[in-house]
Amino acid sequence: MHKRKNAFIIMTVPALLLFFTFHTYPALQGVYYSFTNWRGYGDFDFVGLKNYINVFKDERALHAYLFTFKFAVVSTILVNVISLIVAMGLNAKIKFQKTLRAVYFMPNILSILIVGYIFNFIFAHFIPEIAEGLGINALTRNILGDQDVAWIGVVIVAVWQAVAFNTILYLAGLVTIPEDLYEAASIDGAGPWRKFWSITFPLIATFFTINMVLAMKNFLMVFDHIIALTGGGPGQATESISLLIYRGGFEGGEFAYQSANAVVYFVIIVVISVIQIKVLQRREVEM
Amino acid sequence: MKLHSKLVTGFVSMALGAALLTGCSSGGKDDALEVFSNKSENTETYKALIKKFEEENPDIDIKLNAPPEAETVLKSRLTKNDLPDVMAIGGNATYGELARAGVLMDLSDSEMINKIQPAYLDMINRLAGEEKEGTYGIPYATNANAVIYNKDKFEELGVEVPKTWDEFVAILDKAKAEGEIPLYLTLKDAWTGMIPWNSLAANIQPEEFAKKVNNGEASFQEDYPEVADKMLTLLEYGHQDNMGVAYGDGNTAFAKGEGVMYLQGNWAIPEIKKANPDINLGVFAMPVTNTPEENKLVSGVDVLFAVNSDTEYSEEAKKFIEFMINEQNAKQYIDEQAAFSAVEGVFQEDPVMEGIKVNFQEGSITSFPDHYYPAGMQAENLIQDFLINKNKDEFLKKMDEEWEKVQNR
Repeated sequence: MHKRKNAFIIMTVPALLLFFTFHTYPALQGVYYSFTNWRGYGDFDFVGLKNYINVFKDERALHAYLFTFKFAVVSTILVNVISLIVAMGLNAKIKFQKTLRAVYFMPNILSILIVGYIFNFIFAHFIPEIAEGLGINALTRNILGDQDVAWIGVVIVAVWQAVAFNTILYLAGLVTIPEDLYEAASIDGAGPWRKFWSITFPLIATFFTINMVLAMKNFLMVFDHIIALTGGGPGQATESISLLIYRGGFEGGEFAYQSANAVVYFVIIVVISVIQIKVLQRREVEM
Repeated sequence: MKLHSKLVTGFVSMALGAALLTGCSSGGKDDALEVFSNKSENTETYKALIKKFEEENPDIDIKLNAPPEAETVLKSRLTKNDLPDVMAIGGNATYGELARAGVLMDLSDSEMINKIQPAYLDMINRLAGEEKEGTYGIPYATNANAVIYNKDKFEELGVEVPKTWDEFVAILDKAKAEGEIPLYLTLKDAWTGMIPWNSLAANIQPEEFAKKVNNGEASFQEDYPEVADKMLTLLEYGHQDNMGVAYGDGNTAFAKGEGVMYLQGNWAIPEIKKANPDINLGVFAMPVTNTPEENKLVSGVDVLFAVNSDTEYSEEAKKFIEFMINEQNAKQYIDEQAAFSAVEGVFQEDPVMEGIKVNFQEGSITSFPDHYYPAGMQAENLIQDFLINKNKDEFLKKMDEEWEKVQNR
């Protein structure tokens, strides 16, 4: 018994060390620098809470927060609805089931820069040309160039790509539901709608929780989609918090200030994730 | 069999090359002079010139290091006190920071600066700031912010290169009336809006604008209304989706004959020619005012040479820079790179550049105003926003506020 414990410790310690060195330690450093006026190099002084006070007074940061939340909530809901539907379809006894599963997983393995390039082309040339042919005036311009709707373009791409991964998680959940439950429900005369709400949805609740939390967290940290599609524009219409932190911190020489922003953001993400887990776990059922 | 061994040698030399490259990027100190470059486009030219230099100076060994994300690499090496011996970097805010950090050698009493156009020396001195006396870099290659025009279309319209703002707008009006796209704008990429902005601001703003703002003697609200108005005027002459077209698509469209004029820098010309080698292009400096003599070309330092103040090889480093600014070598550089030279008497002879050659000969050039804005305010996105919402007063106020906010951090 003792030996086995040692073996487990030997297995976990390297991972812990690596995690601490490359993740926890830099994160703590970031917290440390957020109380200074460091520019990324050179000398610095402690400035107390000045950076934090400035973050709360920064309209640009506020705008980035609002955009990010709007984007994350809409995308999380869409991704979960769509991927659940796709997963149920792929779980049903259909032809080419395996091929289709592979096809639906494709977006997840494509690099975001390639995806961004393709969608940039679709938004800039493909849609406007079709719209022109059909005489739909509203769509003859690149929607990424319009401040009011550019975020929808980003949502479309982000959802398109994220659905692939969440579908896999839901599929894994659907497989765990025993077939006899559905048979019993059929005998009792339950329709498909009733079966979904009374059997399927409750039994994949753990997967629903995981998917909601993961999707929300990923979308709150959205960065590469925006770089690939709009660069935060037009104006600052699609500037997410990660993008703002990167731009200001690395390109703008405001390392310490944006570290403070990152710390605030970290706290917010933790709070949101904890609330999500608490609320969603309450409705999970045990088999 | 022969082919096989050739392949093997090829792979081995590639692997060796890669090993050498990683060897120098790790920054180990050895007995070679390290030349660090922040551009990937000009490495071939550097390599050729370095080879020539090494032949002339067999006792000096040079290692060229041009990593990706060079400015980040440079900044992180600065924190480790491990700067390269010679740095070939842009005349931008990073240079200013290095100069202020006191890690660059003061070259103001060397012979070399006498061979450089004073306008560019002045530019980089101002980047280092007032409190830092001296010249910490030798400007080498420069770029230009211009109006690129389709010569055939100018001929069809029967117009000449404009000398004043009114003439410029008259051409735009005429092109519009003839059903052409007068200006092919690519404002989906925010930075492309900075090209006209810099031309306008450089000729309109008061001297030493940035310094005056920091002293509270100037502001966007007082000094930029005309710039903002003229930006909005230009916007009227775009196409139907100014905010939806990006730089790459713009180059292709302009090459295919869409648009009479294109507001871009000299770096766009090779790209346009790639899409259509037969296009007949010309360039001119945007005439911003109605006094032709006052209109200057916006030109910045694309490459300057700076020397690490702690280098063991200061003599060798200076020798190398002297070699590079030698007229013949400077000419080779700008010919291969389609750039302009900061060295006196070295001019770009490409016929496309004919229209701005006079600016370099007479020294009627001025610097990029946005290089002196605080980097953290990210003016380009604010300007893009203004071009969408056209809210002049609010925008100028915001520019002032952002400037102040960033300075106070």
